[in-house]
Amino acid sequence: MLTLPMLAVHQPKSVDEAVALLRDIPGARLLAGGTDIVPNLKYGMYETGNLVALRGISRELRYIREEESELRIGAMCSVDQLANHARVIELFPSLADAASQIAGPQLRRMGTVGGNLCLDTRCVYINQSHFWRSALGYCLKKDGTVCHVVKGGQRCVAAASNDTAPILVALGAMVRLVSPRGERIIPLDDFYIADGVKNTQLARDELLVEARIPLAAARLRQAYGKLRLRQAIDFPALNFGVTISVEEQKVAALRLCVGALAARPALVRHVDELRGRPVSTPEEIRALGQELGLRAQRQCKPLTNIGVDPEWRREILPVLVRRGVERALLS
Amino acid sequence: MNRGAGRPNHQRVSAPSQTQVLVTLHINGETQSVAVSSQATLLEALRDGLGLTGTKQGCDKGDCGACTVLARPLDENAARASGSSSRGEPILSCITLAQDAQGLALTTIEGLAGAQGLDSIQRAFADCGALQCGFCQPGMMLSARALLDSNPQPSLPQIQAALSGNLCRCTGYTKIYEAVQVAAGMRMPSHARPVRSEPAPGVDGPRVEVKEIAT
Amino acid sequence: MSNTNGYRWHDPIHAPGGVGARIPKSDGAAKADGSGIFTDDLSFPRMLHAKLLRSPHAHARIRSIDTSKAEALPGVIATLIGSEMPARYGVIPWTHDEQALATDHVRFVGDEVACVAAVDERTAEAALRLIEVDYEVLPALLSPQDALAHPEIKVNERAKVGNITKHVSLSFGDVDGALSAATARSHHTYEYAGNTHAAIEPHCAVARADADGNLTVWSSTQIPHYVHRELSRVLGLAPARIRVIQPLLGGAFGGKSDPFSLEFCVAKLALKTGRPVKLLFTREEVFYSHRGRHPMTMDVQVALDADGRIAAVDNKILIDGGAYASFGLVTAYYSGQLLTGPYRFGSYRFDSTRVYTNKPPCGPKRGHGSVQPRFAFEVALDEAAAQLELDPIEVRRRNFIGENVDTVNGQRITSNGFLKCLELVESASGWKERHGRMGRGRGLGVAGSMYISGTAYPVYPNEMPQSGVLVKLDRSGRVAIFSGASDIGQGVNTLLCQIASEELGCDPRDVTVVASDTDLTPVDLGAYSSRVTFMTGTAAREACGKLRTQLKLAAADKLGCAADQVEIELGTIRSAADAAKNASFMQACQWAEAREGRPLAETGGYRTKDIGEGKLGGEYRGGTIGASPAYSFTAHIAEVEVDEETGLWRCTNVWAAHDCGKALNPTLVEGQIEGSVYMGVAEAQLEEMSYTASGQHRGPSLLDYRIPTSLDTPLIGASIVESGDPNGPYGAKEAGEGPLHAAIPAIANALFDACGIRVRELPFTPAKVLALIRARDEAQRGAAC
Ligand SMILES: Cc1cc2nc3c(=O)[nH]c(=O)nc-3n(C[C@H](O)[C@H](O)[C@H](O)COP(=O)(O)OP(=O)(O)OC[C@H]3O[C@@H](n4cnc5c(N)ncnc54)[C@H](O)[C@@H]3O)c2cc1C
Ligand code: SF4
Ligand code: FES
Ligand code: FES
Repeated sequence: MLTLPMLAVHQPKSVDEAVALLRDIPGARLLAGGTDIVPNLKYGMYETGNLVALRGISRELRYIREEESELRIGAMCSVDQLANHARVIELFPSLADAASQIAGPQLRRMGTVGGNLCLDTRCVYINQSHFWRSALGYCLKKDGTVCHVVKGGQRCVAAASNDTAPILVALGAMVRLVSPRGERIIPLDDFYIADGVKNTQLARDELLVEARIPLAAARLRQAYGKLRLRQAIDFPALNFGVTISVEEQKVAALRLCVGALAARPALVRHVDELRGRPVSTPEEIRALGQELGLRAQRQCKPLTNIGVDPEWRREILPVLVRRGVERALLS
Repeated sequence: MNRGAGRPNHQRVSAPSQTQVLVTLHINGETQSVAVSSQATLLEALRDGLGLTGTKQGCDKGDCGACTVLARPLDENAARASGSSSRGEPILSCITLAQDAQGLALTTIEGLAGAQGLDSIQRAFADCGALQCGFCQPGMMLSARALLDSNPQPSLPQIQAALSGNLCRCTGYTKIYEAVQVAAGMRMPSHARPVRSEPAPGVDGPRVEVKEIAT
Repeated sequence: MSNTNGYRWHDPIHAPGGVGARIPKSDGAAKADGSGIFTDDLSFPRMLHAKLLRSPHAHARIRSIDTSKAEALPGVIATLIGSEMPARYGVIPWTHDEQALATDHVRFVGDEVACVAAVDERTAEAALRLIEVDYEVLPALLSPQDALAHPEIKVNERAKVGNITKHVSLSFGDVDGALSAATARSHHTYEYAGNTHAAIEPHCAVARADADGNLTVWSSTQIPHYVHRELSRVLGLAPARIRVIQPLLGGAFGGKSDPFSLEFCVAKLALKTGRPVKLLFTREEVFYSHRGRHPMTMDVQVALDADGRIAAVDNKILIDGGAYASFGLVTAYYSGQLLTGPYRFGSYRFDSTRVYTNKPPCGPKRGHGSVQPRFAFEVALDEAAAQLELDPIEVRRRNFIGENVDTVNGQRITSNGFLKCLELVESASGWKERHGRMGRGRGLGVAGSMYISGTAYPVYPNEMPQSGVLVKLDRSGRVAIFSGASDIGQGVNTLLCQIASEELGCDPRDVTVVASDTDLTPVDLGAYSSRVTFMTGTAAREACGKLRTQLKLAAADKLGCAADQVEIELGTIRSAADAAKNASFMQACQWAEAREGRPLAETGGYRTKDIGEGKLGGEYRGGTIGASPAYSFTAHIAEVEVDEETGLWRCTNVWAAHDCGKALNPTLVEGQIEGSVYMGVAEAQLEEMSYTASGQHRGPSLLDYRIPTSLDTPLIGASIVESGDPNGPYGAKEAGEGPLHAAIPAIANALFDACGIRVRELPFTPAKVLALIRARDEAQRGAAC
């Protein structure tokens, strides 16, 4: 058995109560589905004696609804609900696709959207038992002073490995965060920061209550792509969301967000140059996909933080992106 | 209980405090209270606290599915809202905290069989040879039960998808698919006949010389 | 809750029956309803929990160990270090090179150093962190090449020469002559990565010492007898004072066929504390215990004459053994000795070296020793045949060795249904219409294989039976079978019920099997080398046969006919001449009990020297290793789909036909074939024991060490071939290990059919496949200009 540290589990009845607990108990952490935090606690990755459980306020936070020209997804929706929700499938099929590829059936029932968006970064040198990490001599992210991925690196580059983040960023989603000081609504893209130790700007006493996607984004052509070696129970070795707005058979806007490479899901830059590209024939679509894929390849550098050959991942990235573009535009 | 209690405590790391809490769990239609340490998982509460050892542990961190149990929200409205089927959905007890499971109605493998004997899934697994070592199977059968509860006539790809969170090392999954289909009344257990081979004359080789070295 | 829809017991398919019937497993219901007891399900009043401290270094000397702080921790009851039981042990008597806990030398990251027993696991775990070990770190040898290059650094003192566990070189006939005379040749180096069993149940042991000084150990082992012996040696306790019991076992595949530190530690701690002690490995510790597939580097030459006959095979093998020998001495032989069927070899040579390295020890995984060379050979055979433009199935057919024949290395093949296997998979897969014609990225590949059904001799030389069974009947009509054999999921207990039913006419459901309990059951050597059905089956048949005679004699008296006129059929015993003269099985038991005037009980045993011609194997040193009373044969065809742009590929189907001699229970045999195919495909596809530069396992978890899910497993079509072996019980041989071998080369050969690439390195990761596709394109471009 893997032993958990000594823990007190607090069970607030409302969001306000939850964030008050976070404020009042130093080091307290949120427990949603627990599919990320519990294994990590068993591996001794956190120094905390207190969890604030959100199951008791599921009802408040478990919804998918359309409001003020947005689709609003409550943080306690399970990723399984997201994957199978009729409106989600209709409006944002790429998002449903992403959710359906998370982990395995049980984990999708347990895992929540909030937990997925706030998933801790992952690295082959950190998601290991305490014994394992001690044998290696620890690392920057916890208890140590060096990084085993980037020699001499001063910053942890553990990989953002959540499957819903890249597509939500590409769809232009916002997140609503609540703390005892009030609430803020920020673009998901700004929510993430490039620091593997903690890759969100969530304050210690802040709770992500919902994700919001502009309904207008439903008009975007969209696709999600995930590379994994095992067809279930496998984090992404690479994932991406791509959205393309097409006007008069030309690209009007385009976003490609790539995950599992760096500490945050990253939008590929300089894609504005692709505006105006014709996409009326399969050949044109393919050409666009290739172009976009090469840009992604130039900007992305797969690392050894994930146990799947980085060279190979870099090599096939353009192919996967091209196919994503083709799926988005040909379907 | 602690034989060492009362000894001088001359190190920094002290024994992990064993704060006990009383949790109330709703399992197989019964409500039971059990004292567990505050950080106990549902799996520990079931196996060590309640003696329900049918639920197995293969990895203890969410990777294998051996510890699968079925769960639905205890409060019926919430259950309906989440569209849960009768016994609920498969979850992993090794990464569910016992304290956090108090709002759930749970079914373990011990709760599958009824007064009339084994559940059809259990019977079919036994009859079809889907059980080899049997260690993955409580979890597997519960995932299969949840599938049939929500989809009584699943296709093969649906079965494969529904069972993809339960690792089995013995069966190659083949007879498991068969058992699920048999339980669903979609087919009979396999009964292909072995094939007899014809006698074959030996091909005699040349007499050869043996050289050997061994250290 | 109602038992949704009405699936029930299906007669006649599952009607109770004897040999050949598809009856459900005898422990099926207990496994289905969760009531079956596995080792970790046991608990006792006052039971303590133990945890092991492991080495963080790949190679180090232990200068000192201080457990005093741990002992002072409240809740800690006892600690244990190596000097308290320093005796060396090992499953093979010639290579006793392990200690329960290291006294002075640790050899891999994860090697066991100390043990703590406490009131619960959390306390034991906390105590481990208080144990102070002073290490002198030594240079670690992580590859076999390094281990050979640095004989001055000793990974394991037992090695007589450098770091070599075992070196074997055997040559049969004029290999060099045949090689130079051959028409077609393939000569390449193959790399087989190590992989592991990953049974879903982690290892667990529980020990209890009673006030009389008797020790009982329950363990998730597949070799209770060897555990019994080694416990006795290491603890210095008479075997008569030790009882080893194997509860239900949650998968093994060879990973539980060594004695492990946990068994010694719980035993010693139980003796020390007077309280029951349990130790359950974490999944990570299961990876450190390993004993899985050896990495091998194989330099293989296969030469064919102009007719496509195998003229010569030459294999030079370097085996990465890890820190201990385990079964390694046998591995070195098996890597060469088991290749010589189902084809006739004109000449053969192998040179095999197993070396120690500073990694978790390798050992026997399903298809022990022979899976790796089989892969290399079957690929090389395909390649050489292609030079002659011979169809891959045709070359295999043409080289078929036949029945009742000796192999080039002097092993006696009795029954051999390989041709039928080939025929079945050829037609099931649509080979004739589809091979070579499936278009880019899709292909079929074939491979064959053979495997042993038990070893000729026990691992420690003795004249006692290798397997024993005791059968008791009484007036209730209940049959009790006492068998030392380990049911590890393969279903031997069910076969015993069927054999009893076949011989005695009882309902197999009226049989109690008392299994693998060294106090109660006759000795059986364990579940390894595919020996169980063959040997235990033979023993059971003998015991039941004796009782059958007693039933017949008694019935003859009562039915008024001659004993040879008595017929036994399921549930009844009757006169052949007059069917109206009959009695129930229970009645017959009562008659027999009365006639004999004593309880009805008989034993049966198996010894290789008592069967066939008695002596097996070639007349040379090592000639008996790999010699088996019978061999099983397999043919597989695999279908693959390759994404040529990414190297990602999938095996969609495997058709596997296996000659198991006789299927005592076809459902169980199919299950063994399917499970073997799955495991072979997994090795080809995903699995690899991979280590960091400092010798740490890269991902000792079921997340990072990816074993296939249902979505990663091909559809498997299993067919059973029965060749009826003259030596096996009812003609039976084995089915548990043989059908793994061919899956891997069949996939490699299918990748060739699909893309024209030859993969020679396991696993066939998409990165490797893509690199080969790129190289192929490069070569084609080169050829074009
Ligand atoms: C074997 C395995 C495989 C997996 N595979 C995948 C995969 O392929 N793809 C993938 O994306 N994920 C995967 N996961 C991770 C995980 O299951 C999902 O990401 C899941 O959605 C996480 O949600 P949760 O509710 O369980 O998170 P929790 O574990 O409860 O929480 C995760 C983190 O987020 C914080 N948090 C939770 N909710 C909130 C909130 N509302 N506001 C602020 N902070 C919050 C927690 O404090 C914690 O730090 C896998 C997990 C396992 C064990
Ligand atoms: S990226 Fe570097 S610092 Fe971050 S977890 Fe991995 S090894 Fe540690
Ligand atoms: S024990 Fe493996 S998922 Fe829970
Ligand atoms: S039956 Fe053994 S792991 Fe599934």
